[in-house]
Amino acid sequence: MTQLPVKLEHGGEWVSLKIDLDEEKIVIPEPVSAEIKIKAIDDLEEKKNILIISTKKSETIKLASVPKVLQLLKRAIIMGCTAYRLTAYFMSPAIRGGVMVKDAKWEKGAIAVLKTGIWFVSKEKQICIPLDEVSGIELTKREVQGRENEVVQISHIENEEVITSFVLCPLTTLQILFNYLKDTTKDLDVLSGELDDMSAQVAMLVYSGMDTHAIENMISISNKKIESIYDKLIEKGLVEVVMTRREVKLTTKGVRFVNESVKT
Amino acid sequence: MGRILVVDDTMFMRTLLKNILFSGSHDIVGEAENGEDAVEKYKALKPDLVTMDVVMPKMNGIEALKAIMAADPNAKIVMCTAVGQEQMVKLAIKTGAKGYIVKPFQAPKVLEEVNNVLSS
Repeated sequence: MTQLPVKLEHGGEWVSLKIDLDEEKIVIPEPVSAEIKIKAIDDLEEKKNILIISTKKSETIKLASVPKVLQLLKRAIIMGCTAYRLTAYFMSPAIRGGVMVKDAKWEKGAIAVLKTGIWFVSKEKQICIPLDEVSGIELTKREVQGRENEVVQISHIENEEVITSFVLCPLTTLQILFNYLKDTTKDLDVLSGELDDMSAQVAMLVYSGMDTHAIENMISISNKKIESIYDKLIEKGLVEVVMTRREVKLTTKGVRFVNESVKT
Repeated sequence: MGRILVVDDTMFMRTLLKNILFSGSHDIVGEAENGEDAVEKYKALKPDLVTMDVVMPKMNGIEALKAIMAADPNAKIVMCTAVGQEQMVKLAIKTGAKGYIVKPFQAPKVLEEVNNVLSS
């Protein structure tokens, strides 16, 4: 059993204590006095340096610690909890914003799909992709050690950047993983043909980081037209409003001010 | 800051890339819509960097890359591909491409890659 120093949320306060961890359970001493079976855990979320552990009995434990301790806890939980889990090779992140990550490499480890996220676990790292931030799942081909293999490509949004990861495992397992992930994130699917070409182009330009003014100029459309396309994209849940820009004209007082200001 | 030639068969993609590169303080010295045009414009304009689409009519991006590298072994070319064309990318890198971006792309990352290649 390993003893780990953590801060645990208890009664609205953060309490410093040492928890005991082994392959089967986490034992939390007083004042919490609880024992959590790892198999009873069905979800794990990570927000900065805080781990949120949820159990089948709807218990939630929030704890914080240094990265090394959190790494031990995450690994034990992800490998032992109730989840769809498989051994696989993964490369994450492989592409950031359309640019290949230079030092990206295949790592041997496990993939675990929990209630709220997909976890990649290897000896060195644990990476979580929250399911509600998954922007795409595809079966594609990729060259691995000189051979072309089918891989699952998972894209997600992180700090407004699109990050792409790849998973490689035997083909039958890969198909099961792909179907499972597709089903889990089906609410985010957009049917092809749901958008006309112009709206699709506008969506692509927003993706690339263009603002409204740039989009209007690039595809030569009026503000009225772009507003109607935005309405369509908002209605389909593809974009959200981050800022409403105002157009103004000068009042008489304003005109007077400008005229005065140019006099020498 | 660099003088850049943008090569892509779709006007939409060329316009998007030009906007992104311009916002990163680069000068667009020309654009081409196929490989043949790209090779000619490269020889005439001598840009610091080329963004080169892979799949294009007349002469594709790989052939254009080979022709440009033959004319100027120090040419800095960034390939621009769609996901699933990674095989082409490998061939392009072997042929001398200095970088590559995958469509769809995001502006900050495109600028990062272009700046890296320009300063290499």
